[in-house]
Amino acid sequence: MLTLENIKYSKNSNDIIKGISMKFEEGKVYGIVGNNGVGKSTIGYIIMGLSDYRVNEGEIFLNERNITDMPITDRAKNGISLLWQEPARFEGMSVKNYLMLNKKIKLKEVEKALDLVNLEPDKYLNRLVDKKLSGGERKKVEIASCVLLNPKFLIMDEPDSGIDIMSLDMIVKIIDYLKERGTGVIVITHRKEIAIKSEYSYLICAGKVFLEGKSDKIVKYYEKTCDTCGHINYAEEN
Amino acid sequence: MDIVKGYEEEFNQLVDIYEKNTEDKSLRNPAVATIIVSGNKVVGLNSVKGMHINSKVRGDGLVIIDVDIEDNTVIPIPVHLCTGFLKKQGEQILKFNYMIGNNVKVKFKSHCILTKVEKLHHYMESDMYIGKNSHVVYEDEHFHDERGGVFVETITKMKIDENGYFASKFYETKTRVGRINVVMDIELKDNAKANLESKIYGREDDIIDIKEILRLNGENSSGIATSTVFATDSTKAHVINEAYGNAPYSRGHIECNEIVKGEGVSVSTIPVLKVNNEKAELTHEASVGRIKQDQLETLMSKGLTEDEAAEFIVNGLLS
Ligand SMILES: Nc1ncnc2c1ncn2[C@@H]1O[C@H](COP(=O)(O)OP(=O)(O)OP(=O)(O)O)[C@@H](O)[C@H]1O
Ligand SMILES: [Mg+2]
Repeated sequence: MLTLENIKYSKNSNDIIKGISMKFEEGKVYGIVGNNGVGKSTIGYIIMGLSDYRVNEGEIFLNERNITDMPITDRAKNGISLLWQEPARFEGMSVKNYLMLNKKIKLKEVEKALDLVNLEPDKYLNRLVDKKLSGGERKKVEIASCVLLNPKFLIMDEPDSGIDIMSLDMIVKIIDYLKERGTGVIVITHRKEIAIKSEYSYLICAGKVFLEGKSDKIVKYYEKTCDTCGHINYAEEN
Repeated sequence: MDIVKGYEEEFNQLVDIYEKNTEDKSLRNPAVATIIVSGNKVVGLNSVKGMHINSKVRGDGLVIIDVDIEDNTVIPIPVHLCTGFLKKQGEQILKFNYMIGNNVKVKFKSHCILTKVEKLHHYMESDMYIGKNSHVVYEDEHFHDERGGVFVETITKMKIDENGYFASKFYETKTRVGRINVVMDIELKDNAKANLESKIYGREDDIIDIKEILRLNGENSSGIATSTVFATDSTKAHVINEAYGNAPYSRGHIECNEIVKGEGVSVSTIPVLKVNNEKAELTHEASVGRIKQDQLETLMSKGLTEDEAAEFIVNGLLS
């Protein structure tokens, strides 16, 4: 169980996350939806523990253990990982080396993971994870990398962004695959096809959980309301 | 293989060190053209068809080596140049003159084995002419003593004739640098191409100077010069990349990446772009700074420590 309790985070005196509580279980899929700039990625970074995203208030628990001050590497070793919205580029590093993570992971497994994300191993193992990889290709490599880690909890920040429509099925497949293996998947997405894969969703607005519940309901509400909402008002009223 | 009489022992010592560092056994292979210099002596020479090597040692110790390759020669196996120094200290001055004919294809693999030297000034000056339509690759790898007493200077001047191609890789990443000064000055004629790449890893109080110059004098000539320096501890590094677009449709790109880690480092880079023809096009890219936080944290979110992540990133950059 991964729990956020009343998390607050501000940057340069901007309140970005204004008291958020969430609960995630292993082997289940969760959705985080909301308009641009409401704080979805920030929640992901906070869970991962990135250095710029130490919370001002609130606590994070992993199975009763308070991990609020735990460094990122230790969080990863305890089974939390993150698929970045815009994965970093690494000059000179081959896809093969990157995915094998300094020989921590076997080549056979790497090849299997590439197949899972629809990248032919023969074509991609020796490509570089640098600027020359297209946005979608880079994202797929990163999805493969996350799958290889076999995490207890994986935050997927817009796994579909930059990826062609044809690959939406692949992402849905990957989410199922992770779920079957017991990973708690937290998907941040703007896409309905992906959001409805989750059992439970959080609708974020202006740094707060505006609504939560069964995903189909949340997605319906989001589609109907948030498109036209000036949503900044919400935060100010509250 | 001609091992020069009386120098068998030095030959064997050098080749042993080389083989240990590289796991490459080709220095003893008679099918491989080789030039092996120990100190101020040429201890081994081996030529192949179409290639002529002459060496002489001047009274003051200057070693002069002429390498001529006939027109239309294709050398299938890389030519090995191995220079080493087995005494504790001294000076090694080398002058290489390359005359590479037209329609030649050749690759040189050069190694400097300076692993057992307390204090040495190694100076190597090369002049290379690359004939029309020829394709030349030059890889230079250095192995220096860990105590940092080696001072290497390699100065290369080159002319690439019409439609010729030259690529070079200069690597000093596996052992300590000491002090190094690399200068590459390349002149390109019509349709000639050059691709220069240097990668250096500085440790402790190493001093690194790199200067790469592309003179794009020929129409449609093009060149890329890339330098990557990883400066740790109190390394000092200074990189200058210059490109001169002197002819129509000449294109040049220079790039310098200096990654720093350590409080005492001091690095700088100066790009110089000068266009003397309105149809020439030059670009440059430079970055100086720490390893990017998002790169580190991406790997940390996979369970690597910050140090492991940094090493992993740098290994990629310098490989
Ligand atoms: N380092 C920072 N400094 C200042 N403001 C920041 C910083 N990082 C994020 N923000 C702000 O915090 C808010 C939330 O950003 P976040 O990236 O979490 O949004 P998001 O919901 O993921 O949006 P999107 O759908 O566009 O990805 C935004 O208004 C953003 O401008
Ligand atoms: Mg986002």
